[in-house]
Amino acid sequence: MLTELWNLLIAFGRASNLGFGGGPAVIPLIKIEVVENFHWLSNAEFADALAVGNALPGPIATKLAGYVGFREAGWLGVLVANIGVILPTVLAVILLSGFLMKYSNSPVLKGMLRGVRPVVVILIAKTAADMGLGSFPNLTTWGIALATVVSIYWLKLHPALIVIISMAFGLLVFR
Amino acid sequence: MLSKLWNLFIGFTRASNLGFGGGPALIPLIKAEAVEKYQWLDNQEFTDSLAICNALPGPIATKMAAYIGYKIAGWLGAFVAIIGTVVPTVVVVVLLGSLIMKYSNSPELKAMLQAVRPVVVVLVGVTAYDMGKKSFPTSSSWGIAVVTVVLLYLTNIHPAFIIVGSMLLGYFLYGRKKKDVK
Repeated sequence: MLTELWNLLIAFGRASNLGFGGGPAVIPLIKIEVVENFHWLSNAEFADALAVGNALPGPIATKLAGYVGFREAGWLGVLVANIGVILPTVLAVILLSGFLMKYSNSPVLKGMLRGVRPVVVILIAKTAADMGLGSFPNLTTWGIALATVVSIYWLKLHPALIVIISMAFGLLVFR
Repeated sequence: MLSKLWNLFIGFTRASNLGFGGGPALIPLIKAEAVEKYQWLDNQEFTDSLAICNALPGPIATKMAAYIGYKIAGWLGAFVAIIGTVVPTVVVVVLLGSLIMKYSNSPELKAMLQAVRPVVVVLVGVTAYDMGKKSFPTSSSWGIAVVTVVLLYLTNIHPAFIIVGSMLLGYFLYGRKKKDVK
């Protein structure tokens, strides 16, 4: 139990503290810890966790920490995983805000963030690709993917709404 | 003091629970609470706080909550604002997650999850695409992307090293040049 909690703290602390670009940049790093390092979830189960997270409001990283933390170690796991996500960066924001205020617009920091951005994009794209491997068992699922693209770019439907509609559709068609 | 803490809690709970699409989607809602409704910060201070939070890793909404909460009411303010941002949605996600675990063998749930997985793949793909549109201003950024793909697929290197390496590279490629000009 204690090692499980420790692993949750390390996994989510590491993912959060390496993700530059807010919650979405943290998703691939959480996936690497949860699916590849610690094998808490499969790629498909990670997609389920993201689906639940996307159907709800609020920051995504803390919701994933809650979801995975609970599966592995109950409410204590929820707490520990969220402490890993939140505490280090929050302490940094409060304790270093004077220092950061001075340097947040410096070309040095901007250059470093510009260097890391393409890496973040690739990591997110790879997350989609990895989850995609198990997510298209039949032609209908490809149709759902196509409908999702149309819904986002042309119909401008809200992602949370698309998640809920697709689940209702699945209930009717795949059962 | 107590009413300040209560306002922080309500302000951040409202922003978090009305914003779909992760932390970045919450920024305008946090601004509506912090700048327009409660006037904790003016526009310029809000922009500064956003720059500070963007310079650090991790989810953006909790960093904003900590920064603004601390400014208004010290450590207790930071704590209360973070609780408002995180707790309601985390509790709901855990309850839904435990339902998924409990009914993982039900054909109804399996059907729903089979239909939602392609949606999630596309949503994450769209995030990458949208971020990518802003992230490749020069050919050197493409170079970084190609090297990242090669390292991810052909080696077992932990992405931490790629992230730190790319930041060092960014420092040498983009950071120093402009500093010299300045």
